[in-house]
Amino acid sequence: MELQIHIDPPSNGSQRVALGGRLDTNSYAEFDRQLEPLLAGMQSLLLDLSELVYISSAGIRSIFRVRKALAGHAGKVLVLNPQPQIQKVFDVVKAVPLNEIFSSAAEADAYLDAMQSKVLRGGDDDEGY
Amino acid sequence: MRLRLQIPCERTQLGLLLDSIEQSLLEHGIARELRDDMRLIAEEVVSNAINHGDNGGGADGEPTPRRIAVDIARDDDGLHVEFRDNGKPFDPLDQEPPDLDADIVDRPVGGLGVHLVRELARSVRYVREEPYNVLHVVLRTR
Repeated sequence: MELQIHIDPPSNGSQRVALGGRLDTNSYAEFDRQLEPLLAGMQSLLLDLSELVYISSAGIRSIFRVRKALAGHAGKVLVLNPQPQIQKVFDVVKAVPLNEIFSSAAEADAYLDAMQSKVLRGGDDDEGY
Repeated sequence: MRLRLQIPCERTQLGLLLDSIEQSLLEHGIARELRDDMRLIAEEVVSNAINHGDNGGGADGEPTPRRIAVDIARDDDGLHVEFRDNGKPFDPLDQEPPDLDADIVDRPVGGLGVHLVRELARSVRYVREEPYNVLHVVLRTR
């Protein structure tokens, strides 16, 4: 079950990447190779894992590299629809904060919109006025 | 069920080993979740053995070809798995646990494989039985 990587065209610095198959020791290098050239300009990455059936520590390391690269310029990685094995592995190693995992693209979009408007307000985390 | 698989300690062989294990568990009616756990544990343990266990020199000083054997037996209690390789002594359990709560920017990307094995297995035990590294892993049946 080879890894499938589908990269949507970017829009407004946001990009959706859908994965299928297995992200593991045999396939992580291909994932790294395809993502690497995109990371510098990416503000947010929606990683759609609906079709991903398996991940190991090698795949987790690749996701960490992406999260670190985006965190370096205040970008975010959101995860969509992880299957049970993936969610279990994420939980064990705390790979992605729970509030950055979504079960629908609409919820993820709403989160990004909220983040974006916070940035426009000047990044004020204080909800009071 | 009893299953024994053996491969040369080479990265190119790993995928075949994992697929063979998974196929055998499937044929023995092992549920998806346990098959996934087994696949992940085998991937992490065998990758470590491939990466860390340099050729042990034989009595005549010649490097011995490195092999790793995986034995899986099932009883009422779970899956009992033994990994046995003839590399130099290497205890995968002898490392600091990763700091899972650090900020993503500060977190090291390594050390996660062994942590996953410890968390997914009911028990993990390493012994050196010259000239072998032996790792016993027990997985819950449910």
